[in-house]
Amino acid sequence: MHIADGVLSVPVWTGCLAVTAAITGVSLRKMKAEDTPRIALMTSAFFIASLIHIPMGPTSVHLILNGLVGIILGPLAFVAILVGLILQAVLFKHGGITTIGANTVMMGLPAVGAYYLFRLHRLFKFRVSAGIFGALAGGVAVFLGAVILALLLVTTGSEFIVVAKLAVWAHLPVMVIEGLIAAFVVTFLKQVKPEMLGA
Amino acid sequence: MHLPEIDKYAHLDSPLHSWDPRVKIVSLFCLILSMVLASNLLVAGLGLMLAVALVFLSRIPFGFVFLHLRWVMLFVLLFFIIMPLTVSGEEIARFHFLSISRRGLELASLIGLRAFSAVLLVFPMIGTMKFSSTTAALQRLKLPNKLVQMIIFTYRYIFVALDEMGRMFMAARARGFRSGTNLHTLKTVGNLIGMLFVRSYERTEHIHRAMVSRGYDGTLRVLDEFALAKKDFLKAALVVALALGLYFAGWTL
Repeated sequence: MHIADGVLSVPVWTGCLAVTAAITGVSLRKMKAEDTPRIALMTSAFFIASLIHIPMGPTSVHLILNGLVGIILGPLAFVAILVGLILQAVLFKHGGITTIGANTVMMGLPAVGAYYLFRLHRLFKFRVSAGIFGALAGGVAVFLGAVILALLLVTTGSEFIVVAKLAVWAHLPVMVIEGLIAAFVVTFLKQVKPEMLGA
Repeated sequence: MHLPEIDKYAHLDSPLHSWDPRVKIVSLFCLILSMVLASNLLVAGLGLMLAVALVFLSRIPFGFVFLHLRWVMLFVLLFFIIMPLTVSGEEIARFHFLSISRRGLELASLIGLRAFSAVLLVFPMIGTMKFSSTTAALQRLKLPNKLVQMIIFTYRYIFVALDEMGRMFMAARARGFRSGTNLHTLKTVGNLIGMLFVRSYERTEHIHRAMVSRGYDGTLRVLDEFALAKKDFLKAALVVALALGLYFAGWTL
């Protein structure tokens, strides 16, 4: 899911960097100064949770959790994901330096989308609606991320069409796993700490 | 699970360690840019050699560096497998129904060289100073204060969260949990993640109150004092000249 340095064309990665800078600027202005440590602490929890590997047949996948970040942090998820990706690039060399913007757009925009999708669960009053919308938000966030990844690759050059298609297909099982995990986490939080879901 | 310590070799002594953090970050970023912009294999190859030379100069052990290249290798491998088979162009080899195109192979190699050079340069850039110096330098380079604070606090608490998660998984295993490809695993992991979030959420309250009682008002004050010397600028001039050289070499070679 992370794009390394040296693949994307210059207009693509600089454009993504500009989008990331603009959204981050607006988000930081909206974030209250004393909220910084709170958001950062949740970001570190997400960072660690995304290291968990889920066995999938003979191999395993690691969690992305961008949908859950969105559900819990709302629009501020974008900045949280930017910080997480900076640390992943520096600590694990996962991702890249010039592609931080591209990776943040790819995971951050779907995260914010997941937040608005999840909020719809309040329109339905039945018992498992939070879980169902959690699953939808978690799955859709991964799917949108894969679609943005594919778009970025295809805009870079037509040589990448097959890689882009493959990337979307490879994310389908991940999407199912992420959706289920999001459903279980949301159900758990609904019972244990409903205020975290903005209730 | 283990978190790599990026500043494990910050205590060494090398021309890169003694370089002013601000100038170092900016100069090496220019060099990374020139690697990413490399337009042909020759320039990208030169770039990789330069990156290796800088890692060597930083005295960071190559074993340590090599351990961190796993993700880049996987990423580059993906392109190496797919692109020679799918990009159309002059055919250089053929196995049954698979044909290898020269253009695809060249493109994959170019991507590989650029990606490896850029990643290698992160070691001389960030690995040659304490992480607190890096964040202080970012602050001085006018990155938004709140963003720098977010990076500092997140970095500080990922180690706490890692310990917490380690304990929770150990407890789950002690109760007989084994992970596998099934719904039960997903449910258990979901509950553990939920618990990690709840604990972090509750901890934010305590930490925030403790910080406020010590005078935290939402701004970050950097105590590190940096002093620029002539040597810092000489190193910067050299590195930026190399970056420009690589960039313009791509036009003529």
